[in-house]
Amino acid sequence: MTKTKLTGIFLGLLGFLIPLVLDFPGLSLAGHYAMSIFLMAAVFWMFEAIPIYSTSILVIFSQVILLSTEGVIDYSGIAGYEPASYTRFIATLADPIIILFLGGFVLADAAVKYDFDKNLTRILLRPFGIRTVNIMFGLMAVTAALSAFMSNTATTAMMVTVIIPIIAKMDPADPARIGIALSVPFAANIGGISTPIGTPPNAVVIGALNQQGVAVAFSSWMLYALPLALVMLFIAWRVLLWLYPPQTDTVSMTLDTRMKQSVQAWILYITFGVTVLLWVTEGIHGIRSSVVALLPVTLLTLTSVISKQDIRKLPWEVLWLIAGGIALGISMKETGLAEWMVGSISWDQLSYIMVLVVFGVVALVMSNFLSNTVTASLLIPLALSLATSGVLDGVFGMLMIGLVIALSASFAMVLPISTPPNAIAVSTGIIKTKDMIVSGFIIGLIGLLFVLVLAAVYWPFII
Amino acid sequence: MAKKIYIFVVEDEPEVLDAIVRDISGFEDVFPVEMADTAEEARDLMTELLDAGSEIGLILCDHVLPGQNGVELLVDMQKDPRTRKTRKVLITGQAGLDETVRAVNEADLEHYIAKPWKKEELVSITKKLLTDYVLDNGENPMAYMQVLDSERIADEIRKGKGITDS
Repeated sequence: MTKTKLTGIFLGLLGFLIPLVLDFPGLSLAGHYAMSIFLMAAVFWMFEAIPIYSTSILVIFSQVILLSTEGVIDYSGIAGYEPASYTRFIATLADPIIILFLGGFVLADAAVKYDFDKNLTRILLRPFGIRTVNIMFGLMAVTAALSAFMSNTATTAMMVTVIIPIIAKMDPADPARIGIALSVPFAANIGGISTPIGTPPNAVVIGALNQQGVAVAFSSWMLYALPLALVMLFIAWRVLLWLYPPQTDTVSMTLDTRMKQSVQAWILYITFGVTVLLWVTEGIHGIRSSVVALLPVTLLTLTSVISKQDIRKLPWEVLWLIAGGIALGISMKETGLAEWMVGSISWDQLSYIMVLVVFGVVALVMSNFLSNTVTASLLIPLALSLATSGVLDGVFGMLMIGLVIALSASFAMVLPISTPPNAIAVSTGIIKTKDMIVSGFIIGLIGLLFVLVLAAVYWPFII
Repeated sequence: MAKKIYIFVVEDEPEVLDAIVRDISGFEDVFPVEMADTAEEARDLMTELLDAGSEIGLILCDHVLPGQNGVELLVDMQKDPRTRKTRKVLITGQAGLDETVRAVNEADLEHYIAKPWKKEELVSITKKLLTDYVLDNGENPMAYMQVLDSERIADEIRKGKGITDS
């Protein structure tokens, strides 16, 4: 075990003990326990003293023990907190947003199994021709489109197998090699913002909004976030071309496609198409996206398109991670902890847009160093309590700040550790960390700026 | 990288040993290379490294050695659970059919390289076998992408190996 991890465990336990020993005036007994859990989780998540999903599981476990009716604390006769049944906390693992993600995982898993992602990529890349500049945009557009429905990590890994042969044929001195290698993780991060299932921070924010009774339709999220993704994709492309101008006009690549033609493969293609179509049109037919998500899970398992072994290999830890984030928000709200924490800052000194700026900047900075999901999990309970306590305006305010946090977290792409797609790109050895820092910083900053621009001039008119 | 994965080269002729090590020097930054000129010396070195928590990913082993021969060493490694998964290569001009068959059957020999070898052949086999080893045993193969088969590793990550979104 490394020193950092040991320090993390020590500080985490210390954080857990502080609220048990000290009495914070104005905070309920349950609020103290909730703070113990919050501090421990925050430190464990930051230091990665234990795997981040274990911290999430620990959060749910601690809540059941300390804050539920089945726990060890007797809250009868203590004012300020009505303990919920333990089912409230464990049910986060079947939250509609988790089911939506499960549907996405099953689709993505099957797509990978039948090489649908690879073949689709090759087909979609064809119209972009052979000019270096256009191919780079093509790579980014395809990456973003896929990562809107698949995991950013899996999409990046898949695209890396596409770009390695391209880069291998390029002149080693051509700066465009770096540009292309950076374009893929950046496009994956950007593409992830455009749908609710694009990336886990979106899930944490949507889950938290759901807990407050604010439902976000799949199509509504796309309406809010997709224009931003498109603009940022274009900007990232221009920035990378400006920093790493290609020396050769054309690149050579072979785009052999052999779409699998078995019955099962076709069941997958159709299920994939229908599910995505139903998701993006939620606003028209009104069938909830989490209900639609059961369609691929049902169809693909009953037709044996995916097997028991495939189900076992799904990234279950990501679902735990999201569930823990949602659960943390529940206890912070219900015990009054979130309100108490933000209450110590006089927010009314700040204008409404300044509040958004503060959360956007904090989310961007934090998630450059921490997991994006963790960043969203830590910030969203605090942000939402601003809305319930009247600093932000009700449902509208909650949606706005939720979007700002989720989208800003996804624009963190300065370091290899910022997101797994970045880590993969640097691991190829084609780019150095300093290349990523420069371009990631520029793109992240522009991204944040555009988030705030949308918050000022676009979202208010469509929410 | 949490644990070190070593490459072993066992060869009694110093010039040949040097030539092998020179040919695979591209892997050295990530996979430290250990050399030995007898099976006994190799075993002692291995025990020391394994006890310290390291792993042996690949052994390139000559057959004719003073003392115990190369095939014997590989068979012994196959019996030890800690080196069972080590990818085993005979690099020799002098192993007879019986011995080679024994190496295949009892030591799970992965490859037989006849002397003299070509550098590209040695490098590509080393890369393939180390990639196999890392994908079978490494928790996060991403760390090895740069020196190994990056396309294959990326494809395994695509299939959910090593890392997921966080």
